[in-house]
Order: sequence, then structure tokens, then C-alpha cells
Amino acid sequence: MSSPLLEARGLVKSYDDGRVEALRGVDAVITAGEYVAITGASGSGKSTLLHLLGGLDTATKGEVLFRGAALGTAVDLDGYRSQQVGFIFQAFHLLPTLRAVENVQVAMLAMHKRASDRAERAAALLEELGLRQRINHYPNELSAGERQRVAIARALANDPTILLADEPTGNLDSVNSAHIMEILRGIQERRGMTLVIVTHENDIANSAPRRIRVRDGKIES
Amino acid sequence: MAAQLSFTGFAWKNLWRRRLRTLLTLGGITMGIGAFVALVGFSRAFENEWMHLYSNAGTDIAVVERNFINTSLSESLGPKISAVPVVQRAVPMIFNLIDLTPEVNALVYGWLGTSYELDTLHYLSGGRFKDGKHEVMLGNLLADDLKKKVGDTLTIQGTVFTVVGIYHGGTALEDGAVIMPLDQMQMISSMDGKVTAFHVKLKPVPPGEAYDHYVKRAETEIEAAVPGVHADPATDRAQNNQLVALAHSVAWGTSSIALLIGILGIANTMAMSVFERTREIGILRAIGWKGRHVILLILTEAAALGVVGGLLGIAVGWGGLQLLSAMPQAASIVSPSVAPLHLIESFGIAIVSGIAAGAYPAWRGARLSPVEALRYE
Repeated sequence: MSSPLLEARGLVKSYDDGRVEALRGVDAVITAGEYVAITGASGSGKSTLLHLLGGLDTATKGEVLFRGAALGTAVDLDGYRSQQVGFIFQAFHLLPTLRAVENVQVAMLAMHKRASDRAERAAALLEELGLRQRINHYPNELSAGERQRVAIARALANDPTILLADEPTGNLDSVNSAHIMEILRGIQERRGMTLVIVTHENDIANSAPRRIRVRDGKIES
Repeated sequence: MAAQLSFTGFAWKNLWRRRLRTLLTLGGITMGIGAFVALVGFSRAFENEWMHLYSNAGTDIAVVERNFINTSLSESLGPKISAVPVVQRAVPMIFNLIDLTPEVNALVYGWLGTSYELDTLHYLSGGRFKDGKHEVMLGNLLADDLKKKVGDTLTIQGTVFTVVGIYHGGTALEDGAVIMPLDQMQMISSMDGKVTAFHVKLKPVPPGEAYDHYVKRAETEIEAAVPGVHADPATDRAQNNQLVALAHSVAWGTSSIALLIGILGIANTMAMSVFERTREIGILRAIGWKGRHVILLILTEAAALGVVGGLLGIAVGWGGLQLLSAMPQAASIVSPSVAPLHLIESFGIAIVSGIAAGAYPAWRGARLSPVEALRYE
């Protein structure tokens, strides 16, 4: 068996001084190149788990290990998010004042790359995702499916090891949902990336070789 | 072709999305810098005019009373000062800013008819006044302004004087002034037996002694010989005289308030901007931006407001200074020139003001938790 890429150990996440517990001792292992679906009912803690795995938040107790090193201590969270992780959100979260190609470049502004290289890579990624004719459009000029494809291109901009998607098809119709999932699976296979998707849709969950079920802040086996 | 996005381009797009607010903020910092350029520039130009006044006449030291405000000395100290070995000439003088007409006020000097300072003036018509007579000489700028020529009369403080000469001196402080006999000035100013200062011309600098050292030594010798007086090098006197000090105080006070308002405007805009863009900052953090990148972005936006506001402020201030110096009340005492160093300083203040105003919002933006910011509605 290949070595773990991400490992959650006894993750507890509580809010309001411990009155609300989103996660109550979660252990999970994700190996490199794996495609995993995290499922569960609304409020089960699946998005919280994804945020902790992606270094967006820190656990109240427990730790997340990336290649055996603890996030937030041995691994700098900012560096981890910028170089190892690509996030895709349900609401796309594109910046409204920037064109599609500029939205993709924003992710690379924090890296030391030349402006022309950033623009070239952003355009290539959008072309790969079938948006060649739309690169200079603003988000409000794009369809929901196109916006999510721009968001996927942005997530891939810094060539991450892991793609983390939080309900990536939640705002899409069935046709666009299928298309986005096809794209994500294609990227995962072609690039050998680790893909972790949070979803409450059975079709998507069933497409993943492995499923982590979260219920009331715990992993359901 | 794909549009390229630079860090500064991104910052500018963020500012431009709220055009009206950005323009109003720019208006605030523009007015602050404009006031600084115009008012401080005006007061510094005024100081420079005084420096030229002394250097043109060859005055090395001004002897004044130790009391800084409304200095006046007994005229009888003249012989004592003249007796100091390093002193070549010591001449008494009075100056005051006097209303000549309801619209025009001007510096009025009272000098002795034998003062060495009269030697450096170039007479365009007429000649020197005579001590004890109701006679005045007018600088060419003032003569033009008052439309006076030799032979005309001019009433000052209720006394009628005859214009006996029109001169050109080389500084606005001379060319826009009236010069009259010291005794007449004492009479109209109720300063019988009193003078504002003694202007001292030193003997040539001894070989091997530096000028600054020589002036310092002369100051000590004069102050030792005439207790109670203060011997100021001419350059210091230009900076310290009451009118210059007053001009500096008013200029700095007014422009500091205007600058403060401009800085608060930028701080308010940046704070509002960070507040409105909470979720966007969360997105940036989620896609790999570090806290320092967020700080850099917000500071770049604040500095951009400072840069643009600074450039506009310099233009407005320069225009204001031209207007100010064209006014009859001010034309006689200052020239409209602005030192390049003053413009650079103003621009620097604008940028530093922008960055300072953006510092707290930037710090707050960087401290936002990515996940909390993403949840922000």
C-alpha cells in the first residue's frame, strides 16, 4: 500500500467555546493519487473536515499530517495552501472585477513568476478546460458551468498535489454537473493528483473509488 | 490575447471598482498635499527672500534683542557694536508690515541714509532719500502696484511722504517694499530711540579662518561687548525673524490639518474596502496568498491613492501658489517659485501618508481567518 499523503489524527473542531462540536475525533488516511468522496448530511462536519485537510482552518484537537509532517507546525499553512492544495468551492468564488484569465492569474500573483508566464499558463489552463473563447470575459458574462471551470483552472494554477472540492456541482444543473465531474476525474487521472470531493449527491459519491462518510462529526465506517 | 495581471494592476482594479469613493478620497489627499505645497512653499519662499535680502546687502550678522517676539533695541547701542574689532559697519534698522492702501500692504524699512544696504540697490529713477525728510523710496514692484512715480506722494500711517526714488533690489522683499529714513520710521512707528535690529557687516575674513568659524567668533565677541543682545548669523535670522516664523507656523499648522483630513480619508476608504472585501480576502488566502501578500495588496492600494493624490496635490498646490503670489497683498513679499526639493518632499509625504493610513486596515485584512472570511456574507 502506498504511503499516506494526508492523515487526520483525532481531529476535533469545536466552536463557541466548545458548545458546538463540528468534528468529534476524526481519523482518516488519504493516499497519493487517490480519488475520495467525503459524504454526509448537511451539518455533518464534512466541509469542516475538508477545510482542516486543506489548511484553511486549524483543529481544536488532533492534527493533520501532510507526508508525515504536521500542518501548522512542521508545515507552514500558507505555503501548504499555495503550493500543495487547489481549492474548488460550490459558489465558485471568482473575483468579479477580474476577467477569467485574470482570476486564474490571481492565484499565481503570490508566487514569484513573470507576468507573461502567469498569463500564458492561465490561458493554457482555460484552453484545456474548453474556455478558449471566454478567457477575457468577466464572471458575470459566464454561465455557472463556465465559472466553475474557471475556478478549476485557478485551483490548478500553481500545479498542486491535492485538489479539494467542496460541493463543486452544488450550484449546477445536471448537465453541467456531469461535465464538471468528468473534467475533475480527467484531471485526476491525467495528472495523477489526489482528489477529495465533499458532496451529498450519491451519483458523485458513487463515482469515487472510496467514500468517507461523516455523521455527527464522526467517521461512519 | 490573454490580459496580463500585475500586482499593481490588481490593486488599481480594486480601487476603481468604487470610483466615486476613490475619487473623493483622492480629493481629500489632493487638498492636503495641495495645501502643503502652496502654504509651506509660500513660507519657505518667504524665508528664501529674507536670505537673499541679507546676502545681497552683504549683511553677515543681525543683532537683535534676546527677546524673540517684537524685538527692539536702543539705537544708542550702535557705537558699542561698531567698536567690536571684527565689525566693519553696524547699521540700525526697523522693519514692519504696514497697510499702504486697503488692498496693499507692504514691508516698510527704516534705514539710515548712509546705510551700506542702500549701496546695493539699483536706482531706476530718482535717488536716495535724505535723513530727517518726509521722503521714501519705492521698490519697482510696489511702485507699479501703487502706480507711483518719482515726485508723487504716499501717505503712510497718516504722514505724507514724497517718492524720491524707484529702485530694483533683486528680492521681492526689497522690490515690493518702502524704504524711508530711520528717524521717519521711528516717528510713524512710535519707536523713538529704538530700532528693530542692527545689521552688521564684518571685516574681511582673516586668512586661514573659515567663514562660519569667523561668524561664530564675531557673534561671541559682539554678545560679550554688548550684554543683553543676541547676534544671529544672517542665515539664522532669515529663518528666525518674526514674520518668517509666523508664516511657517501658519503654513505648517494649516497644511497639517489638511493632511490629517486626507490621511483619515484614505484610512476610512481602506478600512471600508477591507470590510467589504472580507470574503475576497478569504478567497485569496484560500488560493495561496499569505498574510504578507494581503498586507502588500492593501498597502499598494493605499500607496496608489497617495501617489495619485500627491501628483494631483502638487499640481493644485503649484497653481495655488501662483494665485497666492499674484495677489496684491502677497506679491510684494514673495516670489511664486517652488523649490524642486519641496515638491519631492510633498510627494514623499503623500506616499508615506497613504501607506500609514493603509497600515491598520492591511494588518486587519492579514489577520482574517481564511475560513471565517469565506463564510462572511
